[in-house]
Amino acid sequence: MHLPSFEYLKPDSVAAAVRMLGEADGRAAILAGGTDLMASMGQRLSKPERLISIRDLPELQGVTLLADGSVRIAAGTTLTDVVDHDGLAARLPMFHKAVRSVASVHVRNMATLGGNLALPTRCWYTNQTETWRNARAGCFKTDVEQCHVLASSHRCVATSSADTVPALIALNASITAVSRRGERKIPLADFYRDDGAVPTILDKDELITSIQVPGFTGRSVFLKVTPREGIDFGLGNIAVLVSGPNERPAVVRIIVNSLGPHPMRLRAAEAALLEQGLADQGIDMAMKVARQDLGEVTNLWTPAGYKRRLVRTLLRRALVELRETEVGGR
Amino acid sequence: MNKRLITLIVNGDRHELAVAPTRTLNQVIRDDLRLTGTKRGCTSGSCGVCTVNDEGGRAILSCITLAVEWDGRSITTVEGVAEDGKLQDLQQAFLELGAVQCGVCTPGLIMSARSLLIRKPDADERAINEALAGAICRCTGHIKVKKAVARAVQVIADREREHGTQG
Repeated sequence: MHLPSFEYLKPDSVAAAVRMLGEADGRAAILAGGTDLMASMGQRLSKPERLISIRDLPELQGVTLLADGSVRIAAGTTLTDVVDHDGLAARLPMFHKAVRSVASVHVRNMATLGGNLALPTRCWYTNQTETWRNARAGCFKTDVEQCHVLASSHRCVATSSADTVPALIALNASITAVSRRGERKIPLADFYRDDGAVPTILDKDELITSIQVPGFTGRSVFLKVTPREGIDFGLGNIAVLVSGPNERPAVVRIIVNSLGPHPMRLRAAEAALLEQGLADQGIDMAMKVARQDLGEVTNLWTPAGYKRRLVRTLLRRALVELRETEVGGR
Repeated sequence: MNKRLITLIVNGDRHELAVAPTRTLNQVIRDDLRLTGTKRGCTSGSCGVCTVNDEGGRAILSCITLAVEWDGRSITTVEGVAEDGKLQDLQQAFLELGAVQCGVCTPGLIMSARSLLIRKPDADERAINEALAGAICRCTGHIKVKKAVARAVQVIADREREHGTQG
């Protein structure tokens, strides 16, 4: 597929990149790893007039393990550099596993962490060639207020598939975004919107520059279900984090993703586990109430009934794995 | 659209090229440099037939990489794997085990496996599976491919051991 024309810009600093982004007034896209953007431009789903390349900008590279136990990752760091980092896997094993589960080695060699957090949502209708899309009218993502996946929907229901997101939200991570107007720190839990067409609160003139993950010494598990073991987007994924003993956990955080337009926190299941602990009874109760936080579930990619069952299964597998992990271990 | 002048080092040869920013590394390698060993498949990062290696031996998908992004950098394509006309262990293993059916995916598989052997010469089955997951054979010949990569790992290990005892 040939790419639509664009002006190629290669800033030599974050400040220059942010200035270019501001001047473009919404008509530019940031090119980092390009693993999603290039395919999306090939399909004419994205037609930026300018591409601002931030690949290899030194300011946006690197993983730093800080003395207080937290980790700072520059947004342009490739997923392979995160996976291969010496020491990160020991400090944040769940996050490390989530990063390693993304796509393939090939994609991870190019894709960046900032790009994964800002990954556009997908559906089977819009993420196709322009010719395919032209066979029907547009949708919420292009120019018409309608959804071909769920005809009755008043918003885009395309799926958020980023694998690193549930792990990072469970770990209370935050991101730093920079624009000409200044810098802001956003808790990742507040970053996503309930709208597949505009899935994040990142403004068009903002660039994600870094990800901060606080230190964590409890237990955590990440699981992802895919049709094949490699490459595929998840049919569903889960990140569970617990601190304290199985009988009386002090903190429980459960985040699922790849099921709808945004990651979801299973608060009712968390409450059940805080109250009843990780014994069979607590896990049964958590599975029973998990559905309460899923909201509207669509038949996009897999049937809604499958998704509800998948969440229960992921929850049970994750909690059993977690329960058998030694307290004080990771 | 303004072309940009870039320097691209391919298999050790330096090329000065004027390329439009919309052109991918894959298009430049194949159409400008006539190195057609690197294939063009899905153009969306799912199939791996366009795989080349960067300076560090990492597997890179040339069809979703802009050529202008590689200005001043080096890549190795499947044409640059053999040294002085002599096939490398990996290629020899593919040949001996018949790890080829129609052959379209073979360059991508070689470059994916080469990347693995550079970065992890003692790769086990899990590492081989992980490294090859992003390179697909539509003829479904994956078993022989995996065996060929495992054979190459073995051949390299045997040789190292021999050199070790002799040295």
